[in-house]
Amino acid sequence: MPRNFVEMAAVTDAGSVRQFNEDSIVTGPDIGLAVLADGMGGHRAGEVASGIATQVIFEALQAQLAELRSDAGARSPVQAIDKSINRANKAVFDAAQGQPSYRGMGTTLALALFYDNRAALGHIGDSRIYRLRNDVLQLLTRDDSLLRDQIEIGLVSAADAGGSHNRSLVTRALGTEASLSAHLREDEVVPGDIYVLCSDGLNDLVEDADIELIVRSLKTNLPLAAHHLVQAAKDNGGYDNVSVILVKVLKPFPAADDARWLLSRLIRWFR
Amino acid sequence: MAKLMLSHGGSILQQRFLDKERLSLGRDPRNQMVIDDPAVAMEHAVIIPVGNDHILEDLQSETGTFVNGERVSRHILQHGDVVEFGSFYLRYLNPRASAEADLDRTMLISGLRRRDDGASAESPPPQEEVRAPALHRARVRFPKGHVTVLAGGQVGAVIELDRVVATFGRADADIAVITRRLHGYFITQVHGRRRARVNGRPIGDEAQALTHGDVIEVAELKLEFHLDG
Repeated sequence: MPRNFVEMAAVTDAGSVRQFNEDSIVTGPDIGLAVLADGMGGHRAGEVASGIATQVIFEALQAQLAELRSDAGARSPVQAIDKSINRANKAVFDAAQGQPSYRGMGTTLALALFYDNRAALGHIGDSRIYRLRNDVLQLLTRDDSLLRDQIEIGLVSAADAGGSHNRSLVTRALGTEASLSAHLREDEVVPGDIYVLCSDGLNDLVEDADIELIVRSLKTNLPLAAHHLVQAAKDNGGYDNVSVILVKVLKPFPAADDARWLLSRLIRWFR
Repeated sequence: MAKLMLSHGGSILQQRFLDKERLSLGRDPRNQMVIDDPAVAMEHAVIIPVGNDHILEDLQSETGTFVNGERVSRHILQHGDVVEFGSFYLRYLNPRASAEADLDRTMLISGLRRRDDGASAESPPPQEEVRAPALHRARVRFPKGHVTVLAGGQVGAVIELDRVVATFGRADADIAVITRRLHGYFITQVHGRRRARVNGRPIGDEAQALTHGDVIEVAELKLEFHLDG
């Protein structure tokens, strides 16, 4: 397309304490794709898992988008991301089976594909996706985490949960089993929306109210907003790796535009 | 591994490790930890392990369960907590269970309740999603500061800088952000062609540290920065 319909800013940081960064992020503003993964496993296997996952998903969706665009509506973007997640799951699982030091490795995932005025969202584990709309931040995902389960069944109150040591225990991960069902949803997009994809290194250390304040206050300078989010997590302790991808929707992006764009490109070629 | 130390009158009566079993406390000799005090109920409290946590639950005892002097009905035990049962003290020791020990790497564990959602479930979650809040801040202490309006607004007004960021200027023109960090306050241009000025000098691309008494100009506003205390 002549101009990107989304703007993206991404930062990943090892944090203030850890030596290695096991998070991986990939962004493709031109194709409207953002992928974030927080790896787990010993001997830096987490880094391997999150790296494989983001790369496989990115490549799979790049290929599938061409198909989607050439035959709009033939397959939904949600199906496309589901397929890419399953491919990534198999890739990480197979790699883990093949090498003893990778056994048990896995990764969380937060993925957003912006297509045809909608966002197809995929999510596994405790990485999150928020959306700022009309200056209000809303969480769009449910953590697959023991702590969230504890709160849901009333074992601990949400207020007390800040004192829990269970925040790093996830109940679902990509790559740990041969098959996987991810959480998928589709979100109608409004220009001006800002999507926030983050690893738990952000939301474990920065209150939602502060995430909202930072994104809202700095929305006209997305890279600065992303930088501030990571900085806030580090100032609050930065015990974990912290990653964030911000996606701002600049204008409507109906799929018909893609067809028209391809057509105009073709016409230009043949002229 | 977590450890419990029961003491009375200054002497340690019992020490035991907490494992993955539920532990009952009370006056009844059938409890795993017996507390022989008339102020303690027969079945007074339990400690339930959940993941890395040990949750202390008072069994609606009349005399109550106190953690660090405060009555609790349910409490996630923290390293160094002192629990009072009548005239007995129970100390919870778990060096891993402190904020810093959240260095624990992400691990996979089975959930408490199986949810049958998955690839087919595309229904949006409810408006108010159940979520774990951010970690209680352990030892982070931020500076306190404020700005006073000198011109361009309500002259003399005081704006507290008690959040992580505060923006100043005009949304459609020039905006600068004052960021609260551990070691002080910083100012950065957010957007706009006209740079904010500190003591008459335009700020650069990088965040610039503010010092007490600095005069800030952004858009039509003129502010004086104060560091409290």
